Amino acid sequence: MTGQVLAFDGIGQDFATPGSGGRIRVLDGISFDAEPGQFVAVIGPSGCGKSTLLQMAAGLLMPTRGNVKHHGRTIDSVNQAVGFVPQQAQLFPWKTLQENVELPLVLRSVPAEQRRAQVAKAIEAVGLKGFENYYPNQLSGGMQKRGSIARTLVYRPDVILMDEPFGALDAQTRMVMQNDLQTLSAEAGATVIFVTHDITEAVVLADRVVILSQRPSRLLANIAIDLPRPRDVFEPFKNPGFEQAYDAVWSVFRSQIDIRGAH
Amino acid sequence: MNDAASVDAAPAARKWSRRFAALGQFGISLLPGIVLLVFWQWASGRLIKEIYVSKPTAIAARLYELFASGEIIPHLITTGQELVLGYVIGVAGGVIGGYALGRSPRLARIFEPYVMAFYGIPKIALAPLFIIWFGIGIGSKVALASIMVFFLVFYNVFSGVRSVDRELVNLTLVMGANQRQLTWHVYLPAASPYIILGMRMAIPYSVIGVIVGEFTSSIQGLGLFIHEASSTYDPAGVFAGIILLLGFVLIANFLAGRLERRLLRWKNPTTQPPSDI
Ligand SMILES: Nc1ncnc2c1ncn2[C@@H]1O[C@H](COP(=O)(O)OP(=O)(O)O)[C@@H](O)[C@H]1O
Ligand SMILES: [Mg+2]
Repeated sequence: MTGQVLAFDGIGQDFATPGSGGRIRVLDGISFDAEPGQFVAVIGPSGCGKSTLLQMAAGLLMPTRGNVKHHGRTIDSVNQAVGFVPQQAQLFPWKTLQENVELPLVLRSVPAEQRRAQVAKAIEAVGLKGFENYYPNQLSGGMQKRGSIARTLVYRPDVILMDEPFGALDAQTRMVMQNDLQTLSAEAGATVIFVTHDITEAVVLADRVVILSQRPSRLLANIAIDLPRPRDVFEPFKNPGFEQAYDAVWSVFRSQIDIRGAH
Repeated sequence: MNDAASVDAAPAARKWSRRFAALGQFGISLLPGIVLLVFWQWASGRLIKEIYVSKPTAIAARLYELFASGEIIPHLITTGQELVLGYVIGVAGGVIGGYALGRSPRLARIFEPYVMAFYGIPKIALAPLFIIWFGIGIGSKVALASIMVFFLVFYNVFSGVRSVDRELVNLTLVMGANQRQLTWHVYLPAASPYIILGMRMAIPYSVIGVIVGEFTSSIQGLGLFIHEASSTYDPAGVFAGIILLLGFVLIANFLAGRLERRLLRWKNPTTQPPSDI
C-alpha cells in the first residue's frame, strides 16, 4: 500500500435532460481508487457514465457530488498531469505522425533536442518507426491508434485514461494492441484507468475490474484479478485462473444485461 | 510495417508518363475554347453584326494597341490597387470577426443576428451610398469590394471554427495547451479549409464590387474604361476590358491555389494507407 494515485470519492452526476428541463441522474455515489502502476478496468452497460467518469479525472467536467483526487489534490480544473486516449484516435489531421507525437512536448516547452529523442523513443515503442512523416489519413486505423498512444506516452503522465480505446478496431488488430498495451503500460509504470464494455478485455488486461450498474449507476463490485503476468491476450482462456476470474466478473455483470435483448 | 521506403518510391519513368498524360489532358481541355474562338471569328460579320460581338482578332489588336500606347496602364493600376486593398481588408476582417465570434458563444449570440441581417442585403445596392461616403476615388471601390469579401470569408471562418471537434479541443487541453496554443495548433488549422474556401469564393466577388463601384462613379479604372467603350459602341474595347479583368481573376485564383496546396497538404494524401499491422 503506497497510497492512491487517483481516487474517486462519492461521485454523483446529474445532467439536464434536453428540452424537458428535467434532470437525469447518471452516476450515483461511485467510489474507487487506483494505486501506483495499477491497471484498473471499468466496465458497465452503455450509457451508464463510464466516459463521464474519465472526463472528471481529466478535469473536463466537475462532478455534481463528491470529488476526484489526483495525488491527494482535488481536481478542479483541466488536469494536465494525466494522459487521455479516446475511442477514436483523434490525431491532428494537419500534423504528421512526428508532429502529432511531438505536440504535448511543444505545449510543455520541452527543448527541441530533448523533444526529438523522446518522440523517436515513443514512436519506436509503438512500432511506427518509418512512418514519422505520414499524415494520419495515410495511416490505417490500428496505426492511428498506436500514434494516439505514443502521443500520450511521450510526456510520461503517471495516469493514463483510456476510453474504449480498442472498441473500433477489428478483432485481430485489437488483440495485437492489447498485447502491446500490456507491455507498454508495464514499462511506463503508469496507472491506467481503462474503460471498456468487453469483459474478456477487462479481465485479461486489468489488476482490478470495477463494475458499474445501469443508470443511475452505482458501483456493483471492485474485483481484484490476481493472474500472473505477462498474460496471453490471444487465447485468454488458456491463462491459469482466467476462467474463475471471468466468472467472478460475469456473475456480477450478467444482472445488468437485458437478456431479452430489447434495445 | 517496415516498408515505408517502398511505399514512397515512385519510379522516374512513371512520373514522366504521368506528365505526358497531364499534357494530353490539358490539350483536350483547350479544344472547346479554340473551337469557340474559331466559330466566333467566322460568325462575326456573317451570322451576327460585328458591331455587337466584335471578333477575336480585333480584340487582340485592340489589346495590343492599349498596351503599346500605354493608355490602359493607369486603369490597370487603379483597378489593381482597389482589388488588392478591398480583398485584403475584407479577408482580414472576415477572418478576425469570424474567428472571434466562432470562439465566443457570448459574442456570437449578440452579433450573429446582425451579421445575418446584413448578409441578406444585396451589397451592390450600397454602391451609391459608398460613393457619397467615400468619394469617387478608390475609397468607395475598396469599401464595396471589402464588404462583399468580408461577409463570405466571415461566414466560412465562423462555421469553420464552430465545427471544430470539441473532443479534440479537450484532448489538447489535457495535453497541456493554453488558449493561445489552442488557437495555433487546433482552431486555425482546423478552420483552414473553410478559410481557404471563403477566400476562393471571395475572389470573383471582389471583382464585382470594384467594377460595380467604378460603373457607378469613378475617375479611373477598368470599369470606367469598359463603361466608356460601351457608350462609344466599341465592342472590341469592352471585350478587351473584360479579358483584362479575367486576367486579374486568373492570377488571384492561381495564387489562392498555391496557398491552398501549401496549407492543406494534409488533405491530399499522396500515398494510400498501408494495410493494418
Ligand atoms: N454533457 C452532457 N449533457 C447531458 N447528458 C449527458 C452529457 N454527457 C453525458 N450525458 C448522458 O450521460 C449518460 C452517460 O454518458 P457516458 O458517460 O457517455 O456513458 P458511457 O460512456 O458509459 O456509455 C448518457 O445517458 C448521456 O446521454
Ligand atoms: Mg463512453
